[in-house]
Amino acid sequence: MSLAFAQPWALLLGLLAVIPLFKRGQPTLAYSSLARLPEDPLSLWIDWSLRVLASLGLLLLALGIAEPYLREQWVEKIGTGAHIVLVVDRSSSMNENFSGTYLGGTAHETKSVLAAKLLAEFVDRRGQDFFAVVAFSAAPIYVLPLTQDHEAVRSAVLALGGRGHGITNIAPGLAMALAHFSAQPVTGSRIVLLVSDGAARMEPETADALRQQFQDHQASLYWIYLRNPKGGKLAEAPKNPNESTTPEYYLHQYFQSLGVPYQAFEADNTLALQEAITKVETLENHPLKYRQKLPRQDMSGICYGAALVCLLALLAGQILEVNT
Amino acid sequence: MIVEFHYHIPWRSLGHHPGHHPGTQSGGGFEFRGLLPFTSQPDPRHLDVRAMIADPTQALMVKSFRQRAAIPVYLLADLSASMGFAGKTALLAEFAAATAWSAWRTSDPFGFFACDSQIRWDLSLPLRLHKGMASELSAQIRAFTPKAKNALGLLEAATLLGRQRALVFMVSDFHFPLGQIEALFNALVRHDVVPVVLWDSGEYENLPRFGLVELQDPETGQRRRLFLRPSLLARIRQGFAERRAELTQICIRYGREPFFLLDRFDPDAMTRYFYS
Repeated sequence: MSLAFAQPWALLLGLLAVIPLFKRGQPTLAYSSLARLPEDPLSLWIDWSLRVLASLGLLLLALGIAEPYLREQWVEKIGTGAHIVLVVDRSSSMNENFSGTYLGGTAHETKSVLAAKLLAEFVDRRGQDFFAVVAFSAAPIYVLPLTQDHEAVRSAVLALGGRGHGITNIAPGLAMALAHFSAQPVTGSRIVLLVSDGAARMEPETADALRQQFQDHQASLYWIYLRNPKGGKLAEAPKNPNESTTPEYYLHQYFQSLGVPYQAFEADNTLALQEAITKVETLENHPLKYRQKLPRQDMSGICYGAALVCLLALLAGQILEVNT
Repeated sequence: MIVEFHYHIPWRSLGHHPGHHPGTQSGGGFEFRGLLPFTSQPDPRHLDVRAMIADPTQALMVKSFRQRAAIPVYLLADLSASMGFAGKTALLAEFAAATAWSAWRTSDPFGFFACDSQIRWDLSLPLRLHKGMASELSAQIRAFTPKAKNALGLLEAATLLGRQRALVFMVSDFHFPLGQIEALFNALVRHDVVPVVLWDSGEYENLPRFGLVELQDPETGQRRRLFLRPSLLARIRQGFAERRAELTQICIRYGREPFFLLDRFDPDAMTRYFYS
């Protein structure tokens, strides 16, 4: 609990609070002799409470102007979740549905919309997890850092259901996803969840750098491959292996050689996609210790509110005053 | 209009000046004093034939009578700041004018002392036969704004009233401590003091019915905030009733009961005060 002031100089205004204790605002009536009047405890009490209220009101206003706030705080929490980076393909092929037809305007059946919807549900179910979101097509797009703000993650994921553009370029997306883990202590399992419907050729240097980063960050990789039913399976070697015609097969091979836990899920229809996501969910459930940052809290509203109460009481006193 | 009241004293004046009050001097009058030998008062108009016949020595006897005397009438007016409340000075001016006029009509000399913390000579009148009080003095008193913190000038004036027993009207609101009142009566013990208690109903009766007021005492400068409400007003009224009883008790101890001059002056009430 640490209190600080945004405008500490305004506290000087609080000195003005002594004025109502000694000075009176109401015009006086001359009365021949106060000794003739009976002692009245209620009047005395009202008199002092009005003075103290005026003083208190001024103090609170000064305090409000000074804008007190509680400093940002770290709270230690223990969850059973993981750090999950969602790496989602936004290439133009995601605008198709599973049968390979381009649907255009009726986007609710496209792969991207389906993936977004199912991922959003996934995010909703994993209340303890941290999520980061990276979208990629030709270049990666930084969407969200690792956060537990599920509302933001959900919105970000749903926004990925929009129309995709460009080609599939996985490597930079993965690199950006792994960058989320750097400068963070290893507090639980780290997952890169790649959702894409294809792959592209990867330069050997990039591939080596990625392998190194995967090992450095001890991140596991899950690939949900949204397969075109006519396309080749990951496990079967194509008839004429060529990295430019069947890059998925080679990417699968490469991922298996990463030296970190890796699993691929092939989904060629909505149900399969749902199953794949459920599987990922059951796989990662290790306890996780993490610290959460609470933002600083502005306390000036409380001061103004209390000052308002004082001022309203003073106003009531003013209304009760006899006009002369 | 200047009104007149009649006053009357229950004691004999030692004064030499003829007037309307019982005196001790022998002279022209209707009050039989006794029989004297003709030689000591050779006035044949007053020869008493019956007394001469009854006298075994057949000496010449005359009746002697008491002369009625004039008495000094003083008005000691308290002009301390508490008398500045509402219309108190106006009422005081009216009462002073009526007293002066009544003294003139009774052919008594009249003196006026205006006192705050000392004697205000600019507002006072020496003991003379004034035909009424000078009207400008009355106006001056009416316009005067009392500011003094106390009424100790009354004590000072009490020493200046002369040795002859006088009728002293002491007009004040008596808003000072009982000890001071007693000291004042003790200083005036030689004289016949008529305490006139001048109060304004605004002090205890016609206060605002409800609300917060901030009152200031002009003498002490103290301020007090009061939450006026029916129960407090009742207590204030009761306080003044108690004060009234207290003042009456003290004044009776020193000779006369006080005359309460509340809001307006009724000369007939003053007359009844002397004659009942």
